[in-house]
Amino acid sequence: MSRAYRISVKETVTRKITGSDEISTRLELLEILTPEAMGELLRRELEARGFKDQTDGSMARTDGDARVVVDPCNGQVTVKAEVDREVTEQGTRETAAWDDIGPKRHEVEQRIREQIQKELSQKIDRQQEKLQQKATEKLERELDELQPELSEIVNKVTREALKQKAAQMGTIQEIAEDPQTGSMTIKVEV
Amino acid sequence: MTAESPKTVSRFEHDLLVILRYLFGNMANRQAVPLILAHQQAPPCLSRNCVELVKDTLKKGLILFLTRAGGWQTDRFLSQGEPVAGRIWDRVPLDYRQLTFSSNPLSFLIWLTSEKLTTPSERWSAQTPFTEADRLFFWLVFDRLRTEPDLLDPLRAMSVFSSNPYCWLFNPRDFVLNPETVTAPDFDELFQGSHPAFLECLQTLLTCHWIASERRKSMRIDWSTMKNQGLGEIALFTRFLPAAEKAGRTDLARFLLRALSTIIRYDATSADFWIRSLSPNQSLRLSERISIQQNALSLPQQAETFARWDRQSRTVGYFDEGYAASQLWKEEFESCEGALISARSKEFLQQLEPLRT
Repeated sequence: MSRAYRISVKETVTRKITGSDEISTRLELLEILTPEAMGELLRRELEARGFKDQTDGSMARTDGDARVVVDPCNGQVTVKAEVDREVTEQGTRETAAWDDIGPKRHEVEQRIREQIQKELSQKIDRQQEKLQQKATEKLERELDELQPELSEIVNKVTREALKQKAAQMGTIQEIAEDPQTGSMTIKVEV
Repeated sequence: MTAESPKTVSRFEHDLLVILRYLFGNMANRQAVPLILAHQQAPPCLSRNCVELVKDTLKKGLILFLTRAGGWQTDRFLSQGEPVAGRIWDRVPLDYRQLTFSSNPLSFLIWLTSEKLTTPSERWSAQTPFTEADRLFFWLVFDRLRTEPDLLDPLRAMSVFSSNPYCWLFNPRDFVLNPETVTAPDFDELFQGSHPAFLECLQTLLTCHWIASERRKSMRIDWSTMKNQGLGEIALFTRFLPAAEKAGRTDLARFLLRALSTIIRYDATSADFWIRSLSPNQSLRLSERISIQQNALSLPQQAETFARWDRQSRTVGYFDEGYAASQLWKEEFESCEGALISARSKEFLQQLEPLRT
C-alpha cells in the first residue's frame, strides 16, 4: 500500500556578483612643448593630485569604487567603476511523494533542487542587473566630479608649458595671471 | 502593318514575369507579393517565350532604372583619371557601361516564384559567379522586397544580399545580424568594370537616401536599432572609403560628402540632432550608451577623411600627374563647404566626449 510523504528541500546559492562600467577619453593637451615635456608636466600635476605611478607607466588614483587611470604619454584617461558583492539566496520547497525511500524520492528531490536553483539563480541575476546599474550611476557621479578636476589639470599644464616655452624664447619679464578669466599674459624679452 | 500577337506563357511563367516587373516597379505590391509568399511547383524548364521576355525585361528595366536614377543628368566624373562632363553615355565608353547577366537572376526568379520566401523548402544558391549587372539586379530585388513585412529576415540571411556591396551602400543596418561580428563585403570590385558607371548613375539616389537616413536617426527611439545602424555604417565606411581612395575614384564617394553637408547646413545644430529621440535607458552601461551615441554620428566621423582628401588634392601641383583629377574633389569639397562641415563635425563629435576638457 502506498502512502504519501512530504519531501522538503532547502537550497542555498552563494555567488560573487560584480557590476562594472568604464569609459575612456583623451585629454586635449596643446602641443606647446615636445610630447615628452608635456607628458612630464602632466605627470607632475597628477602626482600632486594623488595619482600614483603604475608599472606600465600610467598613473592611477582610486576614489572609492572608482579608479581613474591616466597615461601621461598620450593623455588617455580611463575611468572605471566596479562594485562587487557576495550574495546568498535561500529557498525552500515542499512537495508530496508516494514513497519516502528509494530512487523515486531521489528523483523528486533532485527535480525540486534544480527548480529551486533555477529560481535562486534568476534572483541573483536580477541583483546583478541592479548592481550593474549601481556601477553605472557611480561612474556617472565620478565623471561629474572628475570633469572640473581634469579641466583644471589641463589648464595648469598648459599654463606651465607656456611659461617654459616663453623662458626658452627669451627672458621672462612679467607674468600676469587672471584667475577670474583664466587668461595669462607673459612678457618676454627676446 | 500587322501588330505582333502577345507571346504565350504558362501560369508559372506568368507569375514569374509579374514578380520581375514588380521588382522594376511596374506592378503593384498586391499583384506580386502574394505570389512571392506562395508555393508553387516549378516546371522542369521555361519556354523560349518566357526566357526572351525575362531577358527583355531585365535589360530594358535596368537601363531605364539607371537612366532615371541619374544617368540622364549632365554631370562630371573621372574617366581614366580625367574629369569628363556630360550624360552617362557621353562620359563612359560603351565597354564600361554594358549589362551582362549570368544565369543567376533567372534561376533566382524561378526559385522566388516557386518557393515561399518566408519558409523555403530549399535555399537558393548562385550557380555561377555574379556579373556586375547581377549585383545591381540583386540589390534591386533586396531594395524592393525589404520593406514587405516578414521578408527582411529571410532576405538578409541570404549571402547573395549580405555580400552585395550595393545592398550595403544603401542599407548597412540590415546586415548587422550579430553586433559582435559585423563585416562589410569587399568594395574593391565596385571600382572595376561597369560598376563605376552604375555608381555614377546612383549618386543622386544615394545622396537622397543618406540624407533621409540621417534624418530618420533623429527620430529613432530604440537604442538597439541605433546601435545596429551605427555599427553597420561604420563597417561600410571602413571598407568603402579606403576602396574608393585606393581606386582613385573619390568622386564616387561624393554622395556621402553631399549628404553630410546637407545635414549639417540645414538640420543639425549640435550632436543632439542624431540622438535626441533615444529613450532614457538605465539598463545600458554608460560605456555602451556613449559608444552607441558616437556611432550614431558615423557620417560626421568621415568628415576627417573628406578633409584629408582635400588636403591631398591641394598638394598636387599644376604640372603634376593627376592634377585635373585632384581638382575635382577639391571643387566638390569647396562647393559642399567642406571646411565648415569638417569643423562642425569635429565639434559635434567632441560634444559626445564623456570628459570634455
